[in-house]
Amino acid sequence: MSTTVRYKNSVERVYTDGRDIDTEAGDLTGEAADQRASGSTDKHLKEQMQVWRQAPGPRTGDPAYYNVPMLNEPVWEWAIPTYYYVGGLTGAALVLGAASQMGDAGGRKELIRRCHWIGLIGAGISGGLLIYDLGVPSRFFNMLRVFRPTSVMNMGAWILTGAGGTAFLAVVLRGRENRFGAAGEIAGYLAGMFGAGLATYTGVLTANTAVPVWQASRRVLPILFGTSAMSSVGALFELLGGKGEERRLTKIFGTAGQIAEFAASVAMEKQASVVPRVGRPLKKGLSGFVWRAAMTLTAAGLVLGLIPKPTRRRRLAAGIAGTLGSALMRASVEHIGTASARDARASFQQQRAGYGAAEIARQPNQ
Amino acid sequence: MAASKGFFTDTTLCIGCKACEVACKQWNQLPDDGFLFSGMSYDNTVHLGGSTWRHVAFVERPVPLNTQTDGAFSWLFSSDVCKHCARAGCLESCPTGAIIRTEFGSVYVQPDVCNGCGYCIVSCPFGVINRREEDGRAWKCTLCYDRLRDDLVPACAKACPTESIQFGDLDELRAHAKERVEQLHERGMPEAYLYGASADDQPGTEGLNAFFLLVDKPEVYNLPPDPVAPAKKVKDAWLAAGAAAAGMALAAVGAVFFGGHRA
Ligand code: SF4
Ligand code: SF4
Repeated sequence: MSTTVRYKNSVERVYTDGRDIDTEAGDLTGEAADQRASGSTDKHLKEQMQVWRQAPGPRTGDPAYYNVPMLNEPVWEWAIPTYYYVGGLTGAALVLGAASQMGDAGGRKELIRRCHWIGLIGAGISGGLLIYDLGVPSRFFNMLRVFRPTSVMNMGAWILTGAGGTAFLAVVLRGRENRFGAAGEIAGYLAGMFGAGLATYTGVLTANTAVPVWQASRRVLPILFGTSAMSSVGALFELLGGKGEERRLTKIFGTAGQIAEFAASVAMEKQASVVPRVGRPLKKGLSGFVWRAAMTLTAAGLVLGLIPKPTRRRRLAAGIAGTLGSALMRASVEHIGTASARDARASFQQQRAGYGAAEIARQPNQ
Repeated sequence: MAASKGFFTDTTLCIGCKACEVACKQWNQLPDDGFLFSGMSYDNTVHLGGSTWRHVAFVERPVPLNTQTDGAFSWLFSSDVCKHCARAGCLESCPTGAIIRTEFGSVYVQPDVCNGCGYCIVSCPFGVINRREEDGRAWKCTLCYDRLRDDLVPACAKACPTESIQFGDLDELRAHAKERVEQLHERGMPEAYLYGASADDQPGTEGLNAFFLLVDKPEVYNLPPDPVAPAKKVKDAWLAAGAAAAGMALAAVGAVFFGGHRA
């Protein structure tokens, strides 16, 4: 076993991993004997204590258990919302790349190349972020040993692999004068298809949880993530400072994304708030603030980008605002989910209002 | 395949001794997860988690029980555990296939496969499974898989001095639980009911292999009133993703069409 515990004698404890098992007297062979435990405090539990400190006390209002969270909150840290952003950017860029390949693509050569490169680099960074966030990073490939349609995360791992692989082929092969060139062309289109999946599946991943606010927003989250991915592509190209056709094209794509992203945010607030308690993290506290900030930045990016006769400086400002808005939006979704998971009453009220399993019974075609 | 096994936790018999918690920790050789003083009745365990697979809830109520002859206060105890849902959110979500359904009908996490992605944690509608920071993998009650394979009763059920935790074949447990509810009704506790005993009781999980007899609203014990395995609703989200992907493709083609060529 991975841990050795020794006692000088039965009273004085020299070192313990929180099991208090004298390995000279007994074997560590239990089901959880190799569960690593360095100290005796669980960081996660400590975080939850903060919540309890606010108001442990007698029952008031709706029934609940000492205001203790009912769910365990997401363990995902900064890497996952960052992945949502990078993956979205990657995916939407690949979609734009594929669309640009259509028809007489001569004048869009540079744009297509850029899109495929963004796809390749983005997929690489995405993979890195995903691996980093795992509890056991060395076991990342366990996700690719199986194909499990019931697991959105498993599907996502395959979509990311597909997007990265096809983007690589497109970068390497496209534009060659031989047969390989044609294969590269096809890879580019395939990358576009994987890209569309990559930019939107993360919304499904988030929605497919017991976290009340995410579950309530499930019809909007994928759209919010997809449109935000589009606007992040537009913002990135503002920063890169493209010209002519590339510029017009990315501008249209990005602006459409920003408008749609803003609309999706408004729709999400509505959907999430059907049961008011569920929508609360969107309006109150730190999560509500980040959410508002993201919306404001997106709107600012949109307006800055629409003022006629753009200057270099204004384009930069629009690009920065758009990028920040889009990235912050993913961060806020994460914050909102954590706040929601900590609020047992959000789950209780949602389910009492008929939005638990009862909701499915009302839609017989599910 | 052996008959499905499970727990019937009759909370009216629980005396809050926490023998189950201790037995579980001991048998499975689980590390402690901090000695916290919660200030919440006698409950310093507070929640199920990566290293806590049984948790006794202490509910203090400012109202008497129906059969109570004295005083205006009542105490409810309930030993909570992984429900081994017939339709388990954690199992469906796991991207590695680490979580499996065993020959006993229980839900088991294989510690040598789990990569600690954390998706099961947000997919459990009961807040059961969790990751331990230093370990990185997801852990929860195994229904004493090792003991079952040796024909032993799970450690918690074995240790429970009042038979509040009963272990056995699910069919028998269900029949017995029904009788118990009727008995309690006759004795003047009409509020007694079964939580999650069958798919009819709890369509969202299609029934729990570890179900409960409760005498107050589920919320009081920190249990959800109408839980649902998230995947039951995922179709809505996939449809939205399809729409979003189509919209994105359309926008891209439109951008090429309208933004292209003009010098
Ligand atoms: S209670 Fe949670 S952890 Fe246990 S089987 Fe059901 S979904 Fe999985
Ligand atoms: S944390 Fe482990 S058991 Fe849970 S979903 Fe991920 S791989 Fe599966």
